[in-house]
Amino acid sequence: MEQQRIDELIAKYNAGLATSADQRELELLLEQGKIELHQFQELATLNDQLVKLNEPMSSKNLDERFYSMLKAEKQSVVKVSAWKDFFAWPQLLPKLAMASVTLIIGLAGGYFMRSPVTVKGDQQIADLSQQVSDLQEMMMLSLLEKESVTERLKAVSLTDQMDQASKKVTNALLETLNNDENVNVRLAALEALRPYIKDSQVREALVRSIAAQKSPLVQVALAEVMAQSQVKSSVKELEKILQNEKTPSDVKKRVQETIQVLT
Amino acid sequence: MVCNLLTNPKFPILKTLQPELDALTDNALMLKVKDGDLDKLGLLFERYKKPLFGFYYHMNKDADLSEDLVQNVFYRIMKYRYLFRGEGDFKTWMFHIARNVNHDHFRKNKLNAKDSLETWQDRLGTDENRSTELQQDETMHLLSMAMDRLPEDKREILLLSKYQEKRYKEIGEILGCSESAVKVKVFRALQELKQVYQKLETRY
Repeated sequence: MEQQRIDELIAKYNAGLATSADQRELELLLEQGKIELHQFQELATLNDQLVKLNEPMSSKNLDERFYSMLKAEKQSVVKVSAWKDFFAWPQLLPKLAMASVTLIIGLAGGYFMRSPVTVKGDQQIADLSQQVSDLQEMMMLSLLEKESVTERLKAVSLTDQMDQASKKVTNALLETLNNDENVNVRLAALEALRPYIKDSQVREALVRSIAAQKSPLVQVALAEVMAQSQVKSSVKELEKILQNEKTPSDVKKRVQETIQVLT
Repeated sequence: MVCNLLTNPKFPILKTLQPELDALTDNALMLKVKDGDLDKLGLLFERYKKPLFGFYYHMNKDADLSEDLVQNVFYRIMKYRYLFRGEGDFKTWMFHIARNVNHDHFRKNKLNAKDSLETWQDRLGTDENRSTELQQDETMHLLSMAMDRLPEDKREILLLSKYQEKRYKEIGEILGCSESAVKVKVFRALQELKQVYQKLETRY
């Protein structure tokens, strides 16, 4: 029944007799998929003719523009991918390995090549420290000749900073011990000489200094140094202090104790 | 395009070349473009520059503008190649872009609406002149003139029907409506085209 109505409607349309109501009905049938566009003869012909409608041709300009655009894009992709590839893990791995190997070779090379450089460096450091201690000696000797007690004390204390004082230094200190007019400076010189008492020359000079000293403080200090270092050869000199009438009794008592320790 | 050849009994040899030809389908080519093989976009351009240019030219009758728009379509395809999933039809996707490019262009140039009306009138003039140039194919010429006189939406759907080879489902995807709705729209557009054509026929 319905198919008959559809056929009627299509025939009516193709004959150009369809009303607007018929047209609406046909649209509905089309929407429902009950009829197809090719069933409308004239429209189908028109639709087929549209396919044959002559095609305009574009100019070569379009091709040129397209291919230059494509080229530009390819270049930008290459640039980006070059960076991407550089950081991509499979590509990065051999590079990292290469860098590690180079670093290890560099370190090993540096290790084997370092010895002569170090010897040279050590030599330079030794030279430099020698120069520094020479300067310190010079400074100390010149300071010892200053009039100011403070300057002379500073000069004596400079010897503490020296690893190994030269003979020149110890002689200057002994000179100070025997002849400096200031007791404090003489005591400081004695303290500074204490590390060098193992040196026989220093030791003998100290022993000779005992009788020469007039200050009881220095005498007592010398006696203590002798007792601590067990310098038995100093006994004779110490006895001279005891025999001296001017020696204070306290000093005599301390010297007596020292002699007892040493004998 | 390639698939049509494969099913054509006139070319049995093509069946043996199927794997090679499969690699040349629009979707396969576009997927290669997506993967960075940009040279394949050249093949797609060669395949579709003509229908795209035709679509635009029939829409606006301006060759320079049509070339600009075709270039713009391929620019978008290239830039947004990562959006192509390969699930749908490349041609449908391309015409979807083409339609957007056209709309964007005319949206931008809305201020020149008056000018475009003038050019439209000029266009009608040139159409009339053209009748002498193309006497050998009067029907096609009248049809072309009738197309130019259709409202833009109707002209567009008929051109999509032409270039999409009456695949109404795909046209529905481009326009964002159902297949049956497309059929009704094509029906109405064809009816109007017939009326305009008949009027022109009586004039010439």
